[in-house]
Amino acid sequence: MSRAKNPGKPRQPKKLRVGIYGITGCAGCQLSIIFNEDDILDLLDLVDLQAFPFIKEVNADQHFDWVIVEGLVASEQDLATVKKLRRNAKYLVSLGACAATGCVPAYRQFTLKENYEHLLYRKQKRLKDVEPTPIDAHVKVDYYIPGCPPDKKEILGFFTAIARGIEPRGTDNPVCVECRKNGNACLLDQGKPCLGPITAGGCHAVCINGGLECWGCRGPTKDMNLNLMIDILRKKGFDDRFIRDRMRTFAGLKLPTLNRIFHGKG
Amino acid sequence: MPLMETYRQTKADWKRFLEALMKGRELIAPVKRDLVRFERVKDIEDIHLKSMSYFPAKHWFFPEEQTLFRFSKKGFEMPKQKEPRRVFFGLRKCDLNAIKHQDMVFIKQAKDPYYKALRKKSLLLGYHCRTAPSPFCFCESLGLPDFFDLLYYERKDHFVVEVGSAKGKALVKKYGRWFHAEKGLTPEQRRIKNADTLEETDIGRFYDHPGWKEGVNLCLSCGACTALCPTCYCHSIHDEVTVADPGSGERKRQWSSCQLQGFTKVAGGHVFRKDRESRFKHRIYHQLEWFREKNKVPLCTGCGRCIQGCPTRIDWVSMINRMKDDEHRT
Ligand code: SF4
Ligand code: SF4
Ligand code: SF4
Ligand code: SF4
Repeated sequence: MSRAKNPGKPRQPKKLRVGIYGITGCAGCQLSIIFNEDDILDLLDLVDLQAFPFIKEVNADQHFDWVIVEGLVASEQDLATVKKLRRNAKYLVSLGACAATGCVPAYRQFTLKENYEHLLYRKQKRLKDVEPTPIDAHVKVDYYIPGCPPDKKEILGFFTAIARGIEPRGTDNPVCVECRKNGNACLLDQGKPCLGPITAGGCHAVCINGGLECWGCRGPTKDMNLNLMIDILRKKGFDDRFIRDRMRTFAGLKLPTLNRIFHGKG
Repeated sequence: MPLMETYRQTKADWKRFLEALMKGRELIAPVKRDLVRFERVKDIEDIHLKSMSYFPAKHWFFPEEQTLFRFSKKGFEMPKQKEPRRVFFGLRKCDLNAIKHQDMVFIKQAKDPYYKALRKKSLLLGYHCRTAPSPFCFCESLGLPDFFDLLYYERKDHFVVEVGSAKGKALVKKYGRWFHAEKGLTPEQRRIKNADTLEETDIGRFYDHPGWKEGVNLCLSCGACTALCPTCYCHSIHDEVTVADPGSGERKRQWSSCQLQGFTKVAGGHVFRKDRESRFKHRIYHQLEWFREKNKVPLCTGCGRCIQGCPTRIDWVSMINRMKDDEHRT
């Protein structure tokens, strides 16, 4: 990627070749891209959309500058797809919570097989089930657009940044930062099990704005004080099982120390 | 000290006075909903004066997010200032001095046109704390000076009003029919009732004291303290470009906080204050020590909001008091 000489010119000599793919997931994150209705045509001008099988009939599958992947690795096909995409792209972006943390589908790793076995891809002979895992368990991820679903404006920000040849602006600030800016009354203070203090923001604290505590969909911050968060929730009267399960809902695989904290192992 | 010009105003006249000011101005005052915030007030009956506002009035001068200018190939364009004139009522001594301290930063030092524009159009009407308005406040420990246009002392059926500026004086002159002569208040009557005391503001020698650990261990680095602080002025700046033309867009600033790891991240990814302890101490030391080194007064005005709003109620005032006590014992 080279820096555009004149930042005023969207028409670079060569537009970035972009591919957008989905593996196991609900396609909601890909929809979040499309939800940018007012800007989507400009977006298509900005980059050279080589592949987006969700909405396009003809799709390239190699020579990408950037490839954006939604979903988690839950089948052998998924695994082959991400490996191939990784090989064929300069930069790989994880889009949404499944891709970044494994999200709710990965919760299965914390339960007994007999609880879900009957739900697996049985009849689908060609789909071979693997342990559900985020993309970065298998290939290098260069950039994350987190969230369940991701913020559509953040997606636009990502595209404009790469088109300008600058680093996209993510945040590792906890959700509390935006929550307080919004002038919300703190739900944790009211005894609700809000995970905002350990969860990466960028969502504008949308859940808390609407009265729901943060469940941690954007994954833990690098700077989190996990032990203190657990202590606070315990003191508020939540039992260990509740705390553990709540924390595992969206990002269990990114909180491996929970095993040690709650089960004395791992 | 020259005696303050002092007046008496009945509560009915107070209402008339505010209503008169509301013609051509917005009235901003504390309103209690789930919490007390400084909000636009349409009905004077909504003003809440019993307890301190949970949020300060800061965002009315220094908004959470603000456009600095628009840019495009053609150049730069300043945003049009559309903000109306405003009268603030119910600011307490800590709030008023916090505005004074932000004036030092934004007007005196930075010559910030955005902040200045909002400040110039404001009237500051204060409210005296006869009873401690919050269980956490300690403003008397900071020795704050007077800073207001008018200051209201609530009595049973009237207010005593002091005049603190030329703007205040002009108001009394213009609306003289609602102001009646009253003798000046004694220092005792002017005193403020606090809930707490900070025993030491000169804390340089405590920097390596093990007593800080207690607070650090209870800190989530969530930034609530700095967001709720009426004096904190730190912000970050970023560009938001349009998709149609990424060469054009808006440069914006938004609140930031020294409690966040990203706050000291520089090009290349290096973070200067990575560990929680140095970040935690930075806030207290900037509030009490480092701002004073430059400006002769501590930045903190003792409102206690950073303690009240902290999810673990880290009481750094008691921590410092204990450090000082320790010192006397040894
Ligand atoms: S409600 Fe949650 S996200 Fe908001 S400030 Fe409280 S803990 Fe943080
Ligand atoms: S509010 Fe409390 S927990 Fe949050 S950063 Fe400030 S001191 Fe730390
Ligand atoms: S540091 Fe705390 S007590 Fe001091 S002005 Fe800020 S919020 Fe108030
Ligand atoms: S450095 Fe920290 S304490 Fe000081 S003004 Fe900035 S945010 Fe507030």
